[in-house]
Amino acid sequence: MTIAESQTQTQSQTERRRLVSTLRGLESRLVLASIVFAVLIASVFGALVLAVSGLRDATRAEADANQRTVNTLSLENRVLNVEAATRGYVVTHRRPFYVAWQQAKTGLEAQLPNFDKQFETPLQRQRAEDVVTSIRSYLRDYSTLIVDLAITDPAAARSQDAATENRRYIKDVRDRFKTLQDAEASATRDQTRSANQHSRQAIVGGIVGLTVSALLIVLFGAFLARSIARPLRAAAAGASDVASGDLTTRLQETGPGEVGDLARSFNDMTERLEERNAQLAQQNARLRESERLKAELISIVSHELRTPLASVLGFTSLLLQRDFEDAERRRYLGIVDAQSRRLAELLNDFLDAQRVEEGRLEMSFEPLDLASLLREQAQLFAGQSDAHEIRLDLDNEPFLIVGDRDRLGQVLANLLSNAIKYSPDGGIVELSGERENGVVRVQVRDEGRGIPRAEQPRIFTKFFRGDAGASGIGGTGLGLALAREIVEAHGGHIGFKSEVGTGSTFWFEVPTDRGPETN
Amino acid sequence: MTQPHAADPPEPKTILVCDDEESLRELIRAVLGPEYRYLECEDGEEALELIRAESPDLVVLDVMLPRRNGLEVLAELRRDPQHGKTPVIVVTAWSYAVDAAASAGADVFLPKPFEPEHLKGTVEELIG
Repeated sequence: MTIAESQTQTQSQTERRRLVSTLRGLESRLVLASIVFAVLIASVFGALVLAVSGLRDATRAEADANQRTVNTLSLENRVLNVEAATRGYVVTHRRPFYVAWQQAKTGLEAQLPNFDKQFETPLQRQRAEDVVTSIRSYLRDYSTLIVDLAITDPAAARSQDAATENRRYIKDVRDRFKTLQDAEASATRDQTRSANQHSRQAIVGGIVGLTVSALLIVLFGAFLARSIARPLRAAAAGASDVASGDLTTRLQETGPGEVGDLARSFNDMTERLEERNAQLAQQNARLRESERLKAELISIVSHELRTPLASVLGFTSLLLQRDFEDAERRRYLGIVDAQSRRLAELLNDFLDAQRVEEGRLEMSFEPLDLASLLREQAQLFAGQSDAHEIRLDLDNEPFLIVGDRDRLGQVLANLLSNAIKYSPDGGIVELSGERENGVVRVQVRDEGRGIPRAEQPRIFTKFFRGDAGASGIGGTGLGLALAREIVEAHGGHIGFKSEVGTGSTFWFEVPTDRGPETN
Repeated sequence: MTQPHAADPPEPKTILVCDDEESLRELIRAVLGPEYRYLECEDGEEALELIRAESPDLVVLDVMLPRRNGLEVLAELRRDPQHGKTPVIVVTAWSYAVDAAASAGADVFLPKPFEPEHLKGTVEELIG
């Protein structure tokens, strides 16, 4: 992943998170749900409070109605008292009855002016007024008149007509009272009934509202459990899976708001862990490979050094112990010399390998003719093996380049000695060079055993020798690795194509038209 | 007085030296001296052919050989009814090969580099 890509991704993630938290964040959902529940429960309580206050009003109205009934009965009683006193005085014509009449009449009259004020509806007030009018009419037109008549003509006052008149007035008063009372009772009954009905409705509504609220809260709890607890449990399980080493664990990225965010972050995390883990595994493999190479180096060094050392030590101790003829002695000393040089060369190879490792393979560049170098090396190798024929395919023109003559010679020598070493049955080794498109291309072709396809990718790896060791082919496994370093230091390329049983062709190209890359 | 029947000089014993390093073959020849006849070869395949064709009295065998390595040559030689008893000295720079050489049937194992007189003594012990 490039830096730009990762930035874009981080940006879009941040954006996504912000959007999620503002639009459908779990937090805002919870707040919204709480508000809905609060409003619901408040309205239920409001309805209940209204019902209770309605009941209280109804109770107060009933008490008022009772008070009115008491007042009405007491007024009716006073009328009956006046009537009784009137009749008592008419019949007995005695003074105490007259005094009682006067008192009852005064008491009754005092009650009359405000009687209708206590009623609330205009109709009831009208009926109360009718009662008062009827009472006034009785007092004015009958009671006062008959008492005055009884003073002057007691017999006339006791007449049948007067009694009849009395009943008529009293009946009218009573009828009016009855109308008023009946209407009052019926109104009170209605009011009570409606108050009761309202309170029943409020109670039912409250119970229903509370039940619905409770149900909603339970449902919301279930929703929370589903959408939070369950994903959290999954996240916990995933986390313990990760802890126990399973980095392929992934969570479902569904779920509301922050829960989905958690799952996504979790997946991001495991993905990154998995990547990191793979990197570590790769590093580990590289380290193991380098360990293996070191062990191989020690084994190769000890073997490669021992062979020439065996010659050197063997001949020197032989020369010290025995007397040889001059010619023989000289030949043996020649071998000692050659093998010592070989030892020195091996040491140089190892030093070069070390220098490559440390990135300080030194080159000294100068103008040179690569064609002459090819001829030189071909000649050098021509005498080395009877079984191989070294062919040189070269035009008669110089290949002028800038390079390190010794190092390029080293590359050629390595390719040629490989061609010979890896064609144990002999055959033709062809060395060719040509100039094309600003490069000199050099090829070494052999008819040897070839390189198995599986080994080809590692052929330029230091100390890699395929099965050469087991096949009895000597070498350090450094030659090609060094050759590549040298060619690349000249700004060139090295490569090969090879087929088992047919042979290998190694080639390298170095530029003619530009200077080497400086290290 | 001369001995009337001076014995003919005995037929020199034949030693096959198989090593892909020419300098080491020359060293072995120089160490053992001119009293033996030498056969030389550079690879394992050739070694087996020479043993069968020439029936040498002793074989000095390197382990790291082209085509067939020394231990394979040795193992096959030991299975050969006619030449299976030929004494073999294994000379190698691979010091770890000592057990493998013994189990393949080597009579003597000499690590490189070796002491010249040691090799000579060993050869005389085996076919002297």
